[in-house]
Amino acid sequence: MSVNRVILALGILALVLVWLLDVGTIQPNRIVSGTGHGLLSAVGWSGAALVTLILVGVILFAVLRVRGRYLFLLVMIGLSLALLPLLLEVFAGRHLPEGSPYARSSVGAGFWCLLFLLSLMLIEVVGQLGRRRGLQLLLVAVIGGSWLMFLQSDGLESLSLVREFHARPAKFEQALWTHLALAFGAVGISVVLAFGLALKMIRSPAWQRPILGLVSFLQTIPSLAVFGLLIAPLSALVSAFPVLGSLGIRGIGWAPALLALVAYSLLPMVRNTFVALTEVPEHLVDAGRGMGMNERQLFFKLKLPLALPVMIEGVRITTIQAIGLTAVAALIGAGGFGSFIFQGLGQAAMDLVLLGALPTIVLALLADALLTMLAASFRPAAARV
Amino acid sequence: MRLWLPPVLLAVLLIGLSTGMPALEPLFHWVQPDKQQVIYERESFLSLLQNHVFLVVISAAAGTLAAVAGGIFVTRPSGRDFLPLVSQVASIGQTFPPVAVLALAVPVLGFGEAPILVALMLYGLLPILRNTLAGLESINPAVKEAARGMGMSPLQVLVRAELPLAGRVILAGIRTSVTINIATAAIGSTIGARTLGDPVIAGLVNGNTAYVLEGAILIGLLALTTDSLFEALERTWDRRLSPQMAV
Repeated sequence: MSVNRVILALGILALVLVWLLDVGTIQPNRIVSGTGHGLLSAVGWSGAALVTLILVGVILFAVLRVRGRYLFLLVMIGLSLALLPLLLEVFAGRHLPEGSPYARSSVGAGFWCLLFLLSLMLIEVVGQLGRRRGLQLLLVAVIGGSWLMFLQSDGLESLSLVREFHARPAKFEQALWTHLALAFGAVGISVVLAFGLALKMIRSPAWQRPILGLVSFLQTIPSLAVFGLLIAPLSALVSAFPVLGSLGIRGIGWAPALLALVAYSLLPMVRNTFVALTEVPEHLVDAGRGMGMNERQLFFKLKLPLALPVMIEGVRITTIQAIGLTAVAALIGAGGFGSFIFQGLGQAAMDLVLLGALPTIVLALLADALLTMLAASFRPAAARV
Repeated sequence: MRLWLPPVLLAVLLIGLSTGMPALEPLFHWVQPDKQQVIYERESFLSLLQNHVFLVVISAAAGTLAAVAGGIFVTRPSGRDFLPLVSQVASIGQTFPPVAVLALAVPVLGFGEAPILVALMLYGLLPILRNTLAGLESINPAVKEAARGMGMSPLQVLVRAELPLAGRVILAGIRTSVTINIATAAIGSTIGARTLGDPVIAGLVNGNTAYVLEGAILIGLLALTTDSLFEALERTWDRRLSPQMAV
């Protein structure tokens, strides 16, 4: 066992940044810019000492060759991450002027750096411990649960992000559902379409080049351009066939958003489905034939199960991409978390921007984690390493 | 030479349309009959195009430098400790939606060109970094051994054996990065960067479909031009270098 230089470097960086940068700011109201508070001023001597002590401890463990040090580090870093909102709670409790209902506290650069560097350390420690999936799940559950609890408690009520949320809880919920419906609707449609296209490509190889060419062409066009290009044709279509309009289809809104999202989702889905289905090892197909399976059985009992992990990988890429692009679709009035982002940018209300951007990132990370696990669980036992 | 025809033709079309858009006024009047003004005139399309390309090129150049340097560092003996973390971060980072990264840059850096440059660089760095790592890691150890056996210094092994072998994969990473950044830069006009996204956003705000169309066509053309340019680059690379590389 030698010195872990990664944790050493990250620990020192965290220690320097948390003392250099502002942990949080206090704003008298939404518009006036706030005053920043460094670590010492933000949480006082005892709090600053505790933070420093933990980071110094992490650095020491990175240098000392103690048995089981990664387990110690895991517990220390995991707990620090889980209790990180406490820093903000103490800060708000100490500095928020009493009796001014519009005063709000915001998260400072020092806090973000601490969060980021601690997460990096956690990734490194989990990697050193062998990336056991149960361990990862436990960590996510503990840290995520703790953050949710803190966010629901009264202590963080003054946090500007929470204020923005409490100003529009119904809209937030609606944005969440719209975002999910658009992203997953597009993924669902493209799964079916891509499956059909992949089967067509397998049956008639002459179609391979045109289909792959078309879907990668669609992927190349920037999202803003696709959304923009769909407005005029859709409006024309609706004015030609008023029936469509009564279905809620218009030049802007969910209809062009869904169309564009499906177009974007096709490339990763078609490519992965096609590769998955064509790259089933020949000797396995032969073995299946030898067992007396007919083509239908071969497909459903052998090819499809073997292809499933690669296809789910396609769904993962597609879903992450669709969640991000749905945020852009807010520009054409499709709703979702993107509407907070662009509304916030328009009003120069940064906390509203965060209220849109952070949930979008969380959704993408969640989808990534869930689908990675799903793909792993479908991998046939023999292929698992 | 036929390889370079599509990018050149597309580039000519792109520049021609950027300068000659006002000539198409009747067409846009037909699209948007109820508006007096149908040609976006707040800024010339050519200068928007210039600025858009400028943003993407600067961020791609800086991102490539940083990513390749980082990739080289973590694959050397002195930086190996950082390899697992860096490759994990490169793949986790790519799950962050580009719009969200762009939005997060604003509270930190304010409105304008600075946040978009930083966001484009940071986000564009990830695919290049991932491909640099993949390219350098996939080189057959026997090749490096042979290069060392020929008496090359570690620097020579890197410059004359490893980088040329990994170059094709790194180029593919740059292509992915630039494709994403052209799209993200277009959205950047919502945070005050002057790009071809401006007419689209202005059109959406004012309900002027003609503006939207003009911006969208130019953005699409820019993306296609760049993509075919990379296609030609990759083909040339394959043709010139692979025969000798088939070790």
